[in-house]
Amino acid sequence: MARTRVERQTAAPANLLVVLVGLGIAFLLFMAFLNVVKSGNLFTEANLLYAALIFYGGAGALYLGFGVTGTDSYVRYASLATWAGLLANTAAVAHRWYVAGHPPFASVYEMLLSFVWTLAALTLVAEKKYGVKVIGTVTMPVAIVGVVLMQLLRTDVHPLVPALQSTWLHVHVSLAMLAYAACALSFALALMFLIQDKMKTETFLAATSLAVTAGYIGILTRFERWGGLSVAAWDAAEKQDMFLQRGVRLFVTIPDLGWLFCLVALAVAAPFVCYLLAGWRNDESFFAIGNRAVFVSILAQVLALAAFLARANGSYPSLDADGLFPTSLAASPFILSGLVGGIFISLLYLLLLWRRTDLERLLPSAEVLDQVTYKTIGIAFPLLTLMIAAGAYWANRTWGAYWSWDPKETWAAITWLVYAGYLHMRITRGWRGRRAAYFAILGFAVVMFTFFGVTYLLPGLHAYA
Amino acid sequence: MAGNTRSTRRRIWQTLSAVRTGIILLILVVIAAAAGTFILQRPTTGPDQMQRAYSPQTLAWLDRLGLTDVFHAWWFVLLMGLVCLTIVAASIERFPNVWRFFARPYRRPDSHFRAALPIQKTLPAGDSEQALAAAHRVFRKQGLRPQHVVEDNQVSLFAERNRFSLLAVYIVHASLLLIFLGGIVDAVWGYRGFLALTNGQQASQIQLQNGTTRALPFAIRCDGAGQENYSDGTPKRWWSNLVVLKDGREAERKQIVVNDPLVYGGIRVYQSSYGSTGQLDKVMLTATPANGSGAGQDISLGQDETAQLDPQTSVRLVRFIPDFVVQDNQIYARSNQPDNPAIQLEVTSKKAKEPALVWIFPQFPNVAHDSKSPYNFKFRDLRMGYFTGLQVSHEPGQWLVWAGCLVMALGLFTAFYLVHMRFWAMVVRDEHARAALWIGGACNKNRPAFELRFRKLVEEVQTELKQEESQARASAREASLASV
Repeated sequence: MARTRVERQTAAPANLLVVLVGLGIAFLLFMAFLNVVKSGNLFTEANLLYAALIFYGGAGALYLGFGVTGTDSYVRYASLATWAGLLANTAAVAHRWYVAGHPPFASVYEMLLSFVWTLAALTLVAEKKYGVKVIGTVTMPVAIVGVVLMQLLRTDVHPLVPALQSTWLHVHVSLAMLAYAACALSFALALMFLIQDKMKTETFLAATSLAVTAGYIGILTRFERWGGLSVAAWDAAEKQDMFLQRGVRLFVTIPDLGWLFCLVALAVAAPFVCYLLAGWRNDESFFAIGNRAVFVSILAQVLALAAFLARANGSYPSLDADGLFPTSLAASPFILSGLVGGIFISLLYLLLLWRRTDLERLLPSAEVLDQVTYKTIGIAFPLLTLMIAAGAYWANRTWGAYWSWDPKETWAAITWLVYAGYLHMRITRGWRGRRAAYFAILGFAVVMFTFFGVTYLLPGLHAYA
Repeated sequence: MAGNTRSTRRRIWQTLSAVRTGIILLILVVIAAAAGTFILQRPTTGPDQMQRAYSPQTLAWLDRLGLTDVFHAWWFVLLMGLVCLTIVAASIERFPNVWRFFARPYRRPDSHFRAALPIQKTLPAGDSEQALAAAHRVFRKQGLRPQHVVEDNQVSLFAERNRFSLLAVYIVHASLLLIFLGGIVDAVWGYRGFLALTNGQQASQIQLQNGTTRALPFAIRCDGAGQENYSDGTPKRWWSNLVVLKDGREAERKQIVVNDPLVYGGIRVYQSSYGSTGQLDKVMLTATPANGSGAGQDISLGQDETAQLDPQTSVRLVRFIPDFVVQDNQIYARSNQPDNPAIQLEVTSKKAKEPALVWIFPQFPNVAHDSKSPYNFKFRDLRMGYFTGLQVSHEPGQWLVWAGCLVMALGLFTAFYLVHMRFWAMVVRDEHARAALWIGGACNKNRPAFELRFRKLVEEVQTELKQEESQARASAREASLASV
């Protein structure tokens, strides 16, 4: 693929970031080393994860620098940092596996550990094999959020309840991990395709606003009377959710947060409204207002995140029981990732808004992206099939039924059907380009709902993790 | 009239076999299935919970529309049936074409085909027979099995790979039907129920999910069950020693644990839960005479059991509450866990007219005893009765489902990763009537990779041809030298 090399900018500012990040990494590692010397224990999981976090952080900064300036040398150092982070992450996974005696898929913490590992590995694959260098700009911040989230969660090795002691579970979860990672990749590729296909930046504005608003609406399903926000109660000593009775979680209401989130949801929806107005009034100036509204929405989202962080740790009343119950940030990983994800998506839009021409130069051509999206789904679909089959086999060995229409199962089937629809349209109807890309995006939206939405909103058998 | 019905039939058939119909049905299935996850579903959700979640009117409508049990509603079954029908119809409609393509491969490229084929290369060749032989050698070296096709006195080469992948789509669709068939078999002939046994108990009836019972063709006896815990108190393992009794005789015996069921006559018995029955097994007490004359004696009592304390006095356990609360001067059970037990004893003495009732609260040992009782009782320990929860299922269709899954995995692999490639080679004459070797290739997916492969093949043929040419030239020179 012959593509115009990005002209190297003047050496001094280009390398400044590399030097700064390098110094930062060195400083943090030195501090960590002092800590290790004090405790005398080098290879603990916490240390390894800390090292991974430092390297991922450096890689993220460099990738972001690349996304913004398009300086090629950043990517070299960024992938070096990613390699180092991946190494530490691998060691952490191995350590965990060794200590727990089972592959790390049993709790939310262990899933995150594996997920971050997969993400970093896929980033390197996409960069080296397919030349999609800009992907680190997207994946590394996600990895960083993942590692930070891990610090909040229960880390001690938790023994497996009887139903989970099965090889088929590990097969099922590994396949799910791979399939969802492939789906995520196809989603990112479809988005890149839309950029290369000269889709209007305004359309991205509307889509960004809509996606983030959907996230806030999802969070606001926990809106409670008198403006509160309902979150799970947290047992700090046990590091787990509190239960009213078996299978029924205890929820507490953080007052006023509900109203605040409603206001932020309005701010987040504002760019979409501007987009609609522009179409309706046929007035392009609304787009400029919409872009300004994105800034306002980012500020509002940061405010929401800050308010949530400030108030998530504390004791609050519950509607179901008398008295005050403690809750913690760790009790609401979905809300937290929703808030952080919203800010992140909005920032990505800004990146597109400011650096569109650079992005277009850096990304592979639309035709290649279209092909690779299809190929990725060609990998994801068989994996999804095997994942569902392995899950069914496991359920049959454990509960005596291979299919019981529980929400997670049903949504996995829906995901499968959506991708089956994509393949039919592509193969028999010859859908290419935009329509296929929209379909790939729809497929990933369903995956996200299956992964997060079902666990957060709908009850079912999969409530173990 | 006859033509009319035929055309109607034709139209129905065309609608059924259209991809559009399939897609619309898929969308409907998705909507219905999604509705089934957002609306609370019956048997899984209890009636009282349903009433709490929906107003009576809404609930009545949901029930009438089958939305409270979507996956067993007649219209959902109908929808799935239609999906099956469209798969079958679409396959039948398209199959003959594909079969023709599969059964009669296009082996000799005619001039129109040669002109239209996108991947092709023409190489200059001196000797036509040797050129074809060179192509044959290279084809062989590349792992292809070239066939000689003779037509109109002209020989050409044809080689192909993975022709079988043309049928992959049908394999996948057939596997889907196989899985559906398994599901139907299980829906009609299969059943699934629950059975709880205490130690030593035997039963041959299971509770089905819809509340009715069903008799098994054999009886199951539990010869012991238990739970092992991790050091932090969470359950590690549940086990039950089960005996299958057929016509009163022991037919099979196995210790089952979670994930390892007992199978007998196509019926599977799974360990699914283990718990306290809330019933007392034994309570251990020490009885000392109230007047202090004599040593205490240890007794153990089950529910409604009587123990003789001395020739005149006996004690009976009349009531046991595992976890009591006092409300409005009444004693209630809060749970089945023996967290705060209350034990009521009835002490009958021939000396007293009326028996004395004694309450014992082990968590509150200082509560005063009934002074009328001739004995004081001290609580030592208690043992609760436990049950093992067994899931019993008969799924004769599951083997079809697993076979379907396996076939589908194979089919998808074939469909996505096995490329049907074809290669042709023949000697053609260019406009100056000079011989040239024409090589063509075609694939049904992953064209970039195939083009690389094709280019490599062509290069090898080229080097082979050059070698031959130089050899021929060398031998020609030798021949001319010899003649001189």
